[in-house]
Amino acid sequence: MFLSFITDLFQQDFMLRALAAGFMLGILAPLLGSIVVVRRLSFIADTLGHFSLVGISVSLFLSSLGFSYFFEKPLYLGIIFSVIGGLLIEFFRRAYTNYKEISMVIVISLGAALSAIFFALASKTGSLYQYLFGSILTVTSYYIYLIFITLFIVSVLFIVFGKQIIAVSFDETSAKFLGINVGLFQIIFMIMLSIVVSVLLEAAGVLLISSMMVIPVAAGMRIGWSYKSTTIISIIFSELSVLVGLWMAYSLTIPSGAAIVSINISILLIVALTKKIINMRRITKIDNAKLK
Amino acid sequence: MQIYINNLTFAYGIKTVINNLSITLNQGDYLVVKGKNGTGKTTFIKCLLGVNEVKPGTIFYDKTDITNFKKWTTFGYVSQSLDNFNYEFPITVLELLNVSSTKGTMPQDRLKLLDKMKIFDIQNQNINSLSGGQLQRVFIVRAMLNNPKILILDEPTASIDKQNKEFFYQTVDDLNKNGITVILITHSDELEHLNYTHTLTMYDDYTNSFSIRNEGGEA
Repeated sequence: MFLSFITDLFQQDFMLRALAAGFMLGILAPLLGSIVVVRRLSFIADTLGHFSLVGISVSLFLSSLGFSYFFEKPLYLGIIFSVIGGLLIEFFRRAYTNYKEISMVIVISLGAALSAIFFALASKTGSLYQYLFGSILTVTSYYIYLIFITLFIVSVLFIVFGKQIIAVSFDETSAKFLGINVGLFQIIFMIMLSIVVSVLLEAAGVLLISSMMVIPVAAGMRIGWSYKSTTIISIIFSELSVLVGLWMAYSLTIPSGAAIVSINISILLIVALTKKIINMRRITKIDNAKLK
Repeated sequence: MQIYINNLTFAYGIKTVINNLSITLNQGDYLVVKGKNGTGKTTFIKCLLGVNEVKPGTIFYDKTDITNFKKWTTFGYVSQSLDNFNYEFPITVLELLNVSSTKGTMPQDRLKLLDKMKIFDIQNQNINSLSGGQLQRVFIVRAMLNNPKILILDEPTASIDKQNKEFFYQTVDDLNKNGITVILITHSDELEHLNYTHTLTMYDDYTNSFSIRNEGGEA
């Protein structure tokens, strides 16, 4: 089974596209995911995903009115709506400073409601299932191109503003004294995140985007000793789950998002258990040494 | 930089916490803000840092009204609690200092400060493995990193033991002697060992008194 996967991987165009998309998403998701985790915004990807789904449902609705362009490329409106969702979250976060999670609930509910309405209004619904759980095996070359541009922009932003991004994420209050315009930063970060979430939607599906961003980081945090090492370890875990997930999706014909996330969670469990066993051994060793 | 505060009043809803506070500090002054818990010390700091809106009353830095003030990089600030800091995610002391330094500061300056605060050895340790006292000193180093003109310390010795406390106050004195304005908030009454120049006392009934230290005939 694995051999046929490898041969197909390099012979079939769709497999190569899936591999390229997976590889790039495997870097993008935990790179931004680590900032999301530090800023305690783990639910944000879910929220943005729901708003991105509004864009997709609106695209399908428009295409049923005769604008077929939107049916072929629903991701454009997905990105625009996700950015709108991100700005809405930031707006509500400022209105409820001490209860920031309220903003997510408002936006996620609005997103779910609007998506349902437009999906119902659209006569051609495409594959709703595909948008909920992801289908990396069916991605088109235009999608690969889109991920590549996103990865490029995000990498440039991280190279140029990485210091500031990390400083604000760890401590918003002190960032002011570094001459960082925190308000502006938050809006730029939200836009960047909204775009990445919409791009992830195709491969991971609305319901599993946040898992792709957060779970590899959660596992990386268990063994990382610094910010850099944690991010690198998270990216390795993420790539591993994309690759194995791709194989599972292909051989078992299951949705790619579900396969990738299952592997992600397996890695997290293995890491957590191994760490616990090592710690327990260390404690018994210390106890034994004390007894002697 | 001169700090000029005139008739500052601040209220949370209908509860007035700061009442008609007026002080003037010049570059190089050392102000101790004292008072029991809940008398508005931290609220006052938040006004100074532009977090709380000043209304009514005015705060001027040199001749700039705080609402138009932009040069926040001239401030160094250590907050009372570490609540604002997300310290569960792995990051080393040196990584934190690197991302917290503005252009023009040199890597060796960071190391010098770490050495001065006696935490040089922990530079590659993960922040969340440090003790409260070590963490507090890391934050003090971070506040001094970009050569501030004004250093604001909100109960900075809360989690430091006695020996380190004396050492810390000595360091603050040295900085003050080099011309940095220091504003130190404390609820302790043990002030004899501090070389402050001014005090601001905040009382339970939300009144306050500002005085210049009068020692050995000094004005």
